[in-house]
Amino acid sequence: MTLWDILLQQLFNGLLIGAFYGLVAVGYSMVYGVIKLLNFAHADIYMCGAFCGLILLTFFAPNIGNTWFGIVVALLISMLVVGILGVVIQRVAYQPMLKAPRLSILITALAVSMLLYNAVLLMTQGQVRAFRTGIVDESFFVGSLRMTDTRMVLLISALLLMLILHLFITRTMYGKAMRAIALDHDTCRLMGINVHKIIALTFFVGSALAAAAGIMAGVHYGTVHFFMGFLIGLKAFTAAVIGGIGIIPGAMLGGLFLGLLEAFATQIPFIGTAWKDVFSFAFLILFLIFKPHGILGRRVSERM
Amino acid sequence: MFKQKSILFLMFAVVLMMFSVFGCAPQAAPPAEEPEQVLIGIMLPTTGAVAENGIDMENAIKLAVSEINAAGGVLGREIITTTADDGCDPAMATAAASKLIAEEVVAVVGGFCSGATLPTLTIYGDAGIPLVIAAANATTLIAENPGWAFMINSTGDMQAEKAIGWFQERGVETIGLIGDGSAFSADLVAITREQWEAAGKQVVTDDTVSPGEMDFSALVTTIMAANPGGIYWTGYHAEGALITMQLREAGYEGVIIVSDGSSAPAFIELAGPHAEGVYCTAPPFADFLPAAQSFIADYQAMFDRAPGAYAGLSYDAMHLLADAITRAGSFDGAAIRDALAATDGFEGISGEVMFTEENTLGRSNFVLLVAQGGSWVLAQ
Repeated sequence: MTLWDILLQQLFNGLLIGAFYGLVAVGYSMVYGVIKLLNFAHADIYMCGAFCGLILLTFFAPNIGNTWFGIVVALLISMLVVGILGVVIQRVAYQPMLKAPRLSILITALAVSMLLYNAVLLMTQGQVRAFRTGIVDESFFVGSLRMTDTRMVLLISALLLMLILHLFITRTMYGKAMRAIALDHDTCRLMGINVHKIIALTFFVGSALAAAAGIMAGVHYGTVHFFMGFLIGLKAFTAAVIGGIGIIPGAMLGGLFLGLLEAFATQIPFIGTAWKDVFSFAFLILFLIFKPHGILGRRVSERM
Repeated sequence: MFKQKSILFLMFAVVLMMFSVFGCAPQAAPPAEEPEQVLIGIMLPTTGAVAENGIDMENAIKLAVSEINAAGGVLGREIITTTADDGCDPAMATAAASKLIAEEVVAVVGGFCSGATLPTLTIYGDAGIPLVIAAANATTLIAENPGWAFMINSTGDMQAEKAIGWFQERGVETIGLIGDGSAFSADLVAITREQWEAAGKQVVTDDTVSPGEMDFSALVTTIMAANPGGIYWTGYHAEGALITMQLREAGYEGVIIVSDGSSAPAFIELAGPHAEGVYCTAPPFADFLPAAQSFIADYQAMFDRAPGAYAGLSYDAMHLLADAITRAGSFDGAAIRDALAATDGFEGISGEVMFTEENTLGRSNFVLLVAQGGSWVLAQ
């Protein structure tokens, strides 16, 4: 392999990792946009999504199959279930705190995160579980670039989900309402927008996307465990900040950007795999010093 | 109204605190010790991520104790045990060691995680309590040992030797090393690199991954570009299975060896068909020890589960300690330590035990396993 072949391969690797980061990052960004909360529990929602998919595929595989059709069915059901879980968390833990000081609700988010994490830890007894599907993954080459069916399907569906979300936010009444709430809760209420309903909807959409990313990770990597959300949660949060937190296209861009940054950092001599995370986070610090609002952060007036 | 509420809350908190204080008190008190009994401490991670190993080992020690007691005990006294949980965490391990010392144990058996065992060595040394380490085996333990601890599992350098021997037998010219940055993994990577380069061969990739990571595609791409003849993974099975799968999916055909951290059957379960043909430098599993067949049957009967990778060693550790006490002829710590150091040719189920000047096992007990048909089998 020549250097260009390697770099091309890393570009593709980075795009796929970045797409995962992006899918999780939009959840952080949306919630921050509407209620200015850093939802720490979001990473655990991602993990819950993966386990929900695992349970569905394990118990209902005889009925829905465990190839692409079954996976899509499991994905849609898990998105619905985990979306509802997100709304329940918002209703029970965050709604009563909306008028409380910002720090209180932040601590509540941490508590919810701990709760989900430990609940799954206890239920799985800390074991890593295999995520088996019936897909036989074939590698194929485009030039020197190695791809697999799964990776292509995942990359395309992740990008498609982000596109749908973008259209939802920019082209529908609900999306418009979300953007309005991001600007001013009270005025929205005066205009007859049901603010609580829209906040719940935001949690639903964000959680459903995280669940989708979780199942895709399960299908792609073949294992799921209770701490799988931790690292990706941290990275996705970074992505959301790089993109400009509260701005949805920013979160997507930030995710792709971070994914590519990590993949290419692996190729830089003396950084390699050992230092790639240090490199990424050092970059984040530098980036925020020079551009504190993120890539798309100039539109401070409208964060969504 | 508000005041009443907060007073109520305060009272509730005080009651809760009292409960927790008094609830703990009976536990902290030393158990009543009869003169015809002798108390041995067990220090293992019985909670946390590696609790499964800890419980396996605790069971094996208890099995050994029941056998010793059935045969008349040691020096005419019945052995009773007390377990302290080290949680595979240095801070918890320090507390566990202090707890055992406070209970006035004669000696301690245990030690699974090297990182957690390390800070306890000087604590036991200062208290004059001998420690038989059943599993922990990083070479960093040697320097910290004040002379009271004895390691009956072979150290990391012997594991590196085993892996290198196999690479050479398979005609591998260049290797790639992957670690997870933990104390044990970094130790093994450094030793393997040193020994491999001393043999005049090349390490072409040396990578460290973050525990909990799932996507290793960037790593796989760099490995495929350098194309080493063999890969040695020195971490635990969660990442090991993923790395193996992603390497094989990318078409890597070289020799893959994983270290004892990945020797759990879960490795094969997770990596599925991609695990086939992967080698493992493993501790002496009871399953592969001819002398351990009755131990396995007794263990199954007593605990209704299979003994894990380290049960055989733990069983040996307890028997060795009883043997040393008998040879010392007293329950004095220094006498037991000297008897342990003088051990020569103790026959355990995992083989002969004798100690080097550094109190480490005087031979390599690593076995080479290969994944075949969905389980580990002996490769040599």
